[in-house]
Amino acid sequence: MWRRREALTAWLFILPSLIGFLIFTAGPVVAAGAISLLNWNLFSAPTWAGLHNFARLGPDPTFWAALGNTAYFTLVSVPLTILVSLVLALLLNQGLQRIAVFRSLLLLPYATITVAVAFVWIWLYIPHDGLVNAVLGWFGIDGPSWLISDTWAMPALILMSVWKSFGFGMVVFLAGLQAIPQQLYEAGRVDGTSPWNSFRHITLPMLSPALFFVIVTSVIGSFQVFDQALIMTNGGPGTRTTTLVMYIYRTGFENYDQGYAAAQSLVLFAFIVLITTTQFLFQRRLVHYDN
Amino acid sequence: MHTKLSRRSFLQMTGVAGIGLAAGCSSGPSSGTATWSMWSSSAAEKKVWADFGKYVEQQLKVKSIATLTPSPGYPTKLDLQLVSGTASLVTALNGTLIPTYAARGAHRPLDDLIAADPDFHLDDFYETSRKISSFNGRTYAIGFDVAPTVMYYNKDLLKKQGVPLPSRTEPMSWATFRDLAKQLTKPGEQYGFTCAPAIDDLVSWIYCAGGNVMSADAGRSTLGDPEAMQALQFVIDLFVKDQVTPPIKNLVTENSLSNFLQGNVAFMQNGPWQVVNARKATFDWDIIPFPAGAAGSTPRVSGSSFAIPSGVREGPQLDLAWKLLKTLTSTGALDIYAKAGRNNPARLSAGSAFQPPPDNLGIVRDILAGKLAGGHAFDVTTNWNQVKQLLGQDLPRTFLGQVTVADAIHGLTPRLDVLMRQHLDTVRQATARKG
Repeated sequence: MWRRREALTAWLFILPSLIGFLIFTAGPVVAAGAISLLNWNLFSAPTWAGLHNFARLGPDPTFWAALGNTAYFTLVSVPLTILVSLVLALLLNQGLQRIAVFRSLLLLPYATITVAVAFVWIWLYIPHDGLVNAVLGWFGIDGPSWLISDTWAMPALILMSVWKSFGFGMVVFLAGLQAIPQQLYEAGRVDGTSPWNSFRHITLPMLSPALFFVIVTSVIGSFQVFDQALIMTNGGPGTRTTTLVMYIYRTGFENYDQGYAAAQSLVLFAFIVLITTTQFLFQRRLVHYDN
Repeated sequence: MHTKLSRRSFLQMTGVAGIGLAAGCSSGPSSGTATWSMWSSSAAEKKVWADFGKYVEQQLKVKSIATLTPSPGYPTKLDLQLVSGTASLVTALNGTLIPTYAARGAHRPLDDLIAADPDFHLDDFYETSRKISSFNGRTYAIGFDVAPTVMYYNKDLLKKQGVPLPSRTEPMSWATFRDLAKQLTKPGEQYGFTCAPAIDDLVSWIYCAGGNVMSADAGRSTLGDPEAMQALQFVIDLFVKDQVTPPIKNLVTENSLSNFLQGNVAFMQNGPWQVVNARKATFDWDIIPFPAGAAGSTPRVSGSSFAIPSGVREGPQLDLAWKLLKTLTSTGALDIYAKAGRNNPARLSAGSAFQPPPDNLGIVRDILAGKLAGGHAFDVTTNWNQVKQLLGQDLPRTFLGQVTVADAIHGLTPRLDVLMRQHLDTVRQATARKG
């Protein structure tokens, strides 16, 4: 009887999230699956397309360019963001003076809306008068035309994105660092462990759950990159910074090709599921939990 | 006084509030209200539409509710409203999107309403406006503005440089224009010309050279034809070879008007819809006809219109929608629009209200009436967004000198041809539905 009541309470607590998940996550995924099998322009009656929308992905150069760009963005921005977040969290954890002030300041970019940040960075990236190239100029470097360069447009977006997002990882890492028992470090010191070995053998393993969480959420977030690219480069020059979500948005809401957009969404969904599942498989070997 | 709220009372109040909120979200304007949608991105524009609303209420004796949305998000919001059945009785449409909406069946043809209304005279609208508002032989919208692209010039800058002011009526040749632009350029300080690095601005040059984006039957891309290539090369050369344009810093924020308003650019290609913003300039300026190419001065003529969504039910709702549409495009309403300097009205009888400055504003009406230079209705397809997106990928790179015009067009043409064939299929299907 008691167990049944406990289970009921648990279900009641879970219910709001479950309803939200079913309506706003599972429902749209199922709907996208159905729509991907149709030709539908939102107004005319949809017609059966079968797997045609998926077959269209193969010969579509923009889709592959967008997929490649998204992968490039993820592969570079996620490790960079994590590195910056970790270094800053370690510094803050070392008892940096006025820690609360620094923590707030460093969290500001993450708390600011992307649109505002993107416009500021557009100004920073102006080829001759922008702050970025002005700083490079102090070191005798002739900076590129960041946002219109074939080579530099994507790195420019990544740089901005790292600046925008490191705050989240930093806070998670800081919380993780502060939860590490000091006795472990003290024991290490007694054994004559160097700071580097202490970091490798105590900090990193103890921080691995936080690290895992940040990696998973950052990878998912990177695959969904949209707003900064839309505002700063509109996907250009050419398709150099067109991301998958941007292309899905255009296909669905500007080209009124709902079926094809749904097919692209499902491919993106499959990629995210695949990568996240792989990460969870590695979790067993690499993430250390207290228990 | 503190009142203790019991858990039950709290839940009851929450429930009532929720029901109220849901009811508020789901209910649209009450029937008998004149609802209309429009894009609006500035306070000046909002003022115009507020005045339109007052005019509608005076004329129709019903409440007017305008849904105003910033222009970049307007089509998406309109789509969602149309699909969810919450669209206004009348919706504004950019001319380039009218075939797209018409082919998808999102808006209804108006021919039956026009034929049944002896008070409405379609021939009071400029021919180009009527053309822009039609698709597949039917009228889907009624214009509220229409205008050709013209050339703005900084009078003070030309005078300062000792350059004679160009003719107010005779379009200059491309060669003359290029020489003048070069003469007026001092790299890093002053520039001869500015335009947007996009197909919307390139089409005027293409039309003037006798070319087009698509063939006459819209079945294939003609950007690779010699006339179009000559036009593209001419404009790209102004950017890359002659360097008479302000350097492009960012393709997203590149804005010809803001370049011109800096005061150091001699000529700007743009439409009279920018007159209201150009009036903020701190220097004297005017407009002249677009430079003439091999086919003369025949720049693009663009316009916007009002249309009735297909979801508007027959009966009193449709009657009100038609009355509202007529009122919004009436001479009285368009006089408000023109007096605010928003753009040239689509009606001949409202034309005189678009007043100077600039001094030479009359050329807009003369061009539309065929008395001076000429114009070319902006030809678009039923999938124009896709065509524009595709062209938006590689054409801007030619302005940056990253790819040659020939390479860009060579790469784009096969994919453009696919879109043109899809367009023809859509037109065929629409024709079949029409019977």
